[in-house]
Amino acid sequence: MNETKQTARERINTLFCLAKENIRENPKLAQRYATIARRISMTAKVTLSTEQKHQICKHCKQFILPGVNCKFRTQQRREPHIVVTCLLCGGITRFPLRPRRKNKHDNTKRKT
Amino acid sequence: MKITPAIIQGEFIGLTAKVAQSMQQSNIGIKGKVVDETRNTFIIMCNHEKKTIAKDVSVFHFRMRDGTVVEINGKLLVGRPEDRVKKRIRRLW
Repeated sequence: MNETKQTARERINTLFCLAKENIRENPKLAQRYATIARRISMTAKVTLSTEQKHQICKHCKQFILPGVNCKFRTQQRREPHIVVTCLLCGGITRFPLRPRRKNKHDNTKRKT
Repeated sequence: MKITPAIIQGEFIGLTAKVAQSMQQSNIGIKGKVVDETRNTFIIMCNHEKKTIAKDVSVFHFRMRDGTVVEINGKLLVGRPEDRVKKRIRRLW
């Protein structure tokens, strides 16, 4: 494991924790922490964890937390998925609920 | 916690800091939580008041997350928080 990447990951985790603590009292500071965390991830080439990815709006890149400035809803149409609506920019992001199948032409289910 | 030169790549936002030495006499002794960081300054919350302190003319005492107190020269900390991840220095001790 690369040393700089490890320190980068630690810093990102602490920044996300701080952002979560501050989002209610002073949201501006929380947004600042989130932007720093995102910049660190980009410079150190570290991917954010799925949980952290869901906490950043894909459209306006701001820190969002369900119950504060975004809403999470599940929908069954076409494919079960979560719809995240950012209340800051109004953008919609969808995350599939079922994990993606590894092999596209996997027919094991049909055979059995 | 092991103290190595790699400490300057770490995160300082959220730690409690104290200005030990400074060219600016009035800044000496300011103590509080680090709220924000820019390329050349730290912003410290001291008695519900934001104080902006230049890095390169000060020496800081940081209380790390496990309780150890570390003295760091501010000259080593100059750089944007996202650029400091990649910053390397020669061994000093």
